[in-house]
Amino acid sequence: MSIKIALAGNPNCGKTTLFNMLTGSNQFVGNWPGVTVEKKEGRLKGHKDVIIIDLPGIYSLSPYTLEEVVTRNYLINESPDVIIDIVDGTNIERNLYLSTQLLELGIPVVMAVNMIDLVEKAGDKIHIDKLSGKLGCETVAVSALKGTGIREAVEKAIVAAQAKAVQTHVHTFTRNVETEIKAVEEKLGDNVERRQKRFFAIKLLEKDNKIAEGIKYPPNVSFEIKALEEAFDDDAESVITNERYVYISSVIGECVTKCRKEKLTASDKIDRIVTNRWLALPIFAAVMFMVYYFSMTTVGVWASDWANNGLFGEGWYLFGIWVPGIPVLLENMLNAVGCIEWLKSLIVDGIVAGVGSVLGFVPQMLVLFIFLGFLETCGYMARVAFIMDRIFRKFGLSGKSFIPMLIGTGCGVPGVMASRTIENDRDRKMTIMTTTFIPCGAKMPIIALISAAMFHNAGWVAPVAYFIGVAAIVLSGIVLKKTRMFAGDPAPFVMELPPYRMPTVGNVFRSMWERGCSFVKKAGTIILLASIVIWAGSHFGMGKDGFGFAMEMELEDSALGMVGKAIGWIFAPLGFGSIKTTIATMMGLAAKEEVVGVFGVLDFQSMSGPAAFSFMVFNLLCAPCFAAIGAIRREMNNAKWFWFAIGYQTGFAYFVSLCIYQLGGLFAGFGFGFGALAALFLCIVFLYLLFRPYKENSPLRLDRKRIAKAK
Amino acid sequence: MPLTIVKEGQLNIIKRVGGKEEIRKFLESLGFVAGSAVTVISQAGGNLIVNIKESRVAIGKDMASKIIV
Repeated sequence: MSIKIALAGNPNCGKTTLFNMLTGSNQFVGNWPGVTVEKKEGRLKGHKDVIIIDLPGIYSLSPYTLEEVVTRNYLINESPDVIIDIVDGTNIERNLYLSTQLLELGIPVVMAVNMIDLVEKAGDKIHIDKLSGKLGCETVAVSALKGTGIREAVEKAIVAAQAKAVQTHVHTFTRNVETEIKAVEEKLGDNVERRQKRFFAIKLLEKDNKIAEGIKYPPNVSFEIKALEEAFDDDAESVITNERYVYISSVIGECVTKCRKEKLTASDKIDRIVTNRWLALPIFAAVMFMVYYFSMTTVGVWASDWANNGLFGEGWYLFGIWVPGIPVLLENMLNAVGCIEWLKSLIVDGIVAGVGSVLGFVPQMLVLFIFLGFLETCGYMARVAFIMDRIFRKFGLSGKSFIPMLIGTGCGVPGVMASRTIENDRDRKMTIMTTTFIPCGAKMPIIALISAAMFHNAGWVAPVAYFIGVAAIVLSGIVLKKTRMFAGDPAPFVMELPPYRMPTVGNVFRSMWERGCSFVKKAGTIILLASIVIWAGSHFGMGKDGFGFAMEMELEDSALGMVGKAIGWIFAPLGFGSIKTTIATMMGLAAKEEVVGVFGVLDFQSMSGPAAFSFMVFNLLCAPCFAAIGAIRREMNNAKWFWFAIGYQTGFAYFVSLCIYQLGGLFAGFGFGFGALAALFLCIVFLYLLFRPYKENSPLRLDRKRIAKAK
Repeated sequence: MPLTIVKEGQLNIIKRVGGKEEIRKFLESLGFVAGSAVTVISQAGGNLIVNIKESRVAIGKDMASKIIV
């Protein structure tokens, strides 16, 4: 029979690093709390029958955050054979709070005290043997980074699992508390498994209402709670929490020797500068500017130009030798073998041109991914959330919403998933809805294409596109906050800041590789398929002799053209009702890169400035690709909210594009018509939504007053 | 006094944590309980970075003002 080992511990304590080492898998490890939002499974290297489960990091087994719920449900319902409790040795006291709860679950626990190398470096000492005796579980010193102690920890876990022992709790609360726990345990009867009784009893006393849902006949424990609260003159959960900390202090006092030096660590010194009241924002702006400057203009453009014009174009010079591009090579080859004309057209004009036009942007994206990977692993990401909180709060969003958005610049799917770290339900839903407004990696080609084709590669197009994304988020934040659904302050900001760490080259490249791979995979599947569909759609149609295939088909007569014509009227008010742009926009739902893919296959059509800009903006803001739509659906976990999010995004995109085209057209001298009137009217409605007072008593105004007083 | 007006670098003992239950519970699991030592590492406009039980936690102004030391 196989053994299931669960890895549990605080956020950012090294669970995923350990998981990678044990299973040999390649999960990306970031340096901010909440990187792992879903549990992951893998098999222990060399032991096919041992399954390792990496659980999201949590501070407690209470049900206040999504991660806590995921981890807790897994531990209670699936009962792994053994838990490896990973404890960050550098702040062991806080970490043990979770450990004391894990030890009550009745599942055998092996404690791995991680980062022992850092503890020793600081001159502290953790007495592992004493700790083991005090807590009543096997304890091993581990360094996930250096790879020491890991084998021992796993071996002990396997032994514990095979022994099938029930974890006995060593820690007891004071007598009054224990009496009540016993009373509740008795009331529980046979409702829960015997070994889990203590855990359930304590949670019931803590008034944890979600725990009652897992019990068939939840007992009424209000009498016990009242007795406890009267005895201690405090609410029941605080009593239990305090007792835990008192117990932990006593354990720490005996088992940890600290070399006291109350000095600022290197991390603290960096934080003093980076989160400084005046310097924080300029530093952040400079960092983001550097990231986009390097990936969009210098290194990224050189690489992408080479890929677009060289590799997937005519050819390029390698040390002075002319190397023909892939399309040229392929065409020559197909000519040589005497390929049929239509197959050659499918391969060269359809597949290679379509997939190639998308793959050409890979180098640019890889550069962006390297920078994002670096930001995530060094620890700056958590600081960004802290810095941005000051600003975002004014728009009704929490600073934590900024992490999903930053990750969303790489890809919307992990961006939407990163929203799980936001505990407050309202804030999270709003973040899910607005995160994909930020141009993701796949939308970069659209920006690049439009800026190259329509605006002579003007430097302002890309920054403006990002600015529009941020503005869309901010304006949506304000407008949505004023609706009844989202009324109320964002949850107060509380977040652990991990110490800065120099990212390892391997980890940064792993994150780049992971994201780059999924992009290339998409090019090989969805985009390949879409390219074939587009090629076929533009070569089949109503020809001179009825419906059929023709090499030279007028676009208007092709199947694609018919579909485009049928729904083009929807986009006509936005200035891009032509067949190609309509098809491009529809295909953008499959994958945003395909917008460019369509133009790679079908040559570009002349458009006016406002129309081209409106086309770009609509594609940036409207419902994201299927993959991201799927992520939104999963994270919303509610059909109504999901459709609301998609509808809002598309409606908002339509509104903005309408305004850009119609009002932009006024300046360009298109004349004043019904469209412009509608745009003006919608603008007024939007301004009303933006500036009307808040439903509840205004948190924004309160803030302003406070600021005024502070000045 | 609230944590927001504590001087940087000074060691303080938490007396009470107020605020909504949900956030208070979360703070408790991070180590913000009565009797814990807390040091403000840096502050920017009322938003704080504090040292609690050897870990660094960032707290927004509105929450920090409800932690009494």
